[in-house]
Amino acid sequence: MYYFTNLIGTFILDNKLKVIDSLSFKNVEEYSQRENKEKQLIKKHQAGSLPENKLPQVLSLFKNQKYYSEFFLKNLQLTKQSIKESVNEDNLIIQTIANINELDRISNTLVKRLREWYSLYFPELAESVQSHEKFVELVSTKTRSQLLKDLHLEVAMGADLADEHLEEMHLLAKEVSSLYELRNKHEDYLKKIMEKYCPNLNELAGTTIGAKLIELGGSLKHLAMLPASTIQLLGAEKALFRHIKTGSKSPKYGVIINHPLIQDAKKDEKGKASRMLADKLSLCARLDFFKGEFKAKEYRKELEEKLR
Amino acid sequence: MSKIKPDKIFEIYHDGKRIYTKSILPGKKHFEERTVKDNNQEYREFDPRRSKLAATIIKGCTNAGIRKGDVVLYLGISHGYTSSFISDMVGKEGLIFGVDPAPRVVRDLTFISKLRNNIIPILADANHPEQYLHRVSQADIVYQDIAQRNQAEIFIKNCNLFLKPGGYGLLAVKARSIDVKRKPKQIFEEIRKILEKEFTVIDYRILEPFEKDHCMIIIKKKSMS
Repeated sequence: MYYFTNLIGTFILDNKLKVIDSLSFKNVEEYSQRENKEKQLIKKHQAGSLPENKLPQVLSLFKNQKYYSEFFLKNLQLTKQSIKESVNEDNLIIQTIANINELDRISNTLVKRLREWYSLYFPELAESVQSHEKFVELVSTKTRSQLLKDLHLEVAMGADLADEHLEEMHLLAKEVSSLYELRNKHEDYLKKIMEKYCPNLNELAGTTIGAKLIELGGSLKHLAMLPASTIQLLGAEKALFRHIKTGSKSPKYGVIINHPLIQDAKKDEKGKASRMLADKLSLCARLDFFKGEFKAKEYRKELEEKLR
Repeated sequence: MSKIKPDKIFEIYHDGKRIYTKSILPGKKHFEERTVKDNNQEYREFDPRRSKLAATIIKGCTNAGIRKGDVVLYLGISHGYTSSFISDMVGKEGLIFGVDPAPRVVRDLTFISKLRNNIIPILADANHPEQYLHRVSQADIVYQDIAQRNQAEIFIKNCNLFLKPGGYGLLAVKARSIDVKRKPKQIFEEIRKILEKEFTVIDYRILEPFEKDHCMIIIKKKSMS
């Protein structure tokens, strides 16, 4: 005698696989708390677990119209439950870093427009202030005469526009600066959750790069399973596949190119630095995923010494 | 007005150019597909550029195996574009078990399944049948569209377990996820040989130009003698 349990119920089958006794579940809760009742039933009939080669035959018993709606309702409830449980820090980190990228792109476009627009009125400012964030701040807070003094200039090249024209530029500048503010808030928030969720990765890679690695890896779990050589090239897939297919030069780094350790490395040592950093990042991701101790500071020191 | 006629394939209709399924939910669109009304029936256009099943049919497949009232096990159901048409094909008496491991796409699917009560979303990994063994029944059709390196292995595992004897299996092979360097045709032949050991291969279509480097293999499980 065998027993078989599924969403519908627990079934006791005889040697010819005919149902002789059953226990049906009214809802999903009964299914998940079935343990005791199931045990009793199995004990009563002294049933053994079903051998694998008989599974297909047993499954065919449930291909019956009368079970369809039950399958539907219970499965839907279970699926909804598991979707609810599937949300974790990974999703939050991925959404935040994706929005930071989005904001960067949007604010860059808008600042470029603002520079062009404001240059009708005061071209010297756009010329002398390189940083976008600084430029927006100056436009929205100071007037032209104040700025002229700061730049040690007498007159501006631009046209003398009336206030109603300037008003629009200031509105845009305010909008963009609020985007910058939002981005900074996102970054602070990201730092806070990353410090808790993956302290090692956050320390060694930095908040943004760490988050980008998680985004590209899909999740911290997946990232921890990846080999270091893959982590080194995350974000350089296009170049990597071009290399595999056509034999062009192999890429040396993916998103970790922005890491200060690689940026500061000598030109002919960048590949080496990237490889060593990826190695340690992989270790960090594993430490974080399996809840190991905090070792990122040691790794960073080790890398700095080696790359000096 | 073009007249819509039944195609040579079961439950599929055509107007000479495009293929359609008869909607079981008239007036409802899930993917902004084109719909056509003919004789008080609503038909939804089945786009071969979005679905590998439609591409297979357009490429001249002679028997897709899916009939009214069938139970389908769909592995890698994703957002449910193809399955919404299979849902039309099997009708209200049929059933689709849709398995996918990604919560994001299953979330979309649950909204469709609320309207179409014959699609059952299951969040599980097709690589591990024991995860959903207790949630499904035997199936008349196994349809698999998964971009994994061991696609063939997963397919065989699932067919042996869930497909009824004499049932059809449809496997969409993505050559690029098996090996990016080798020629797709070589990979298709290899997979076909693996499948031929276990089942009878009844159809094999390369899905160019609708899908690059994809092919569809249709098999029939040997009926018990």
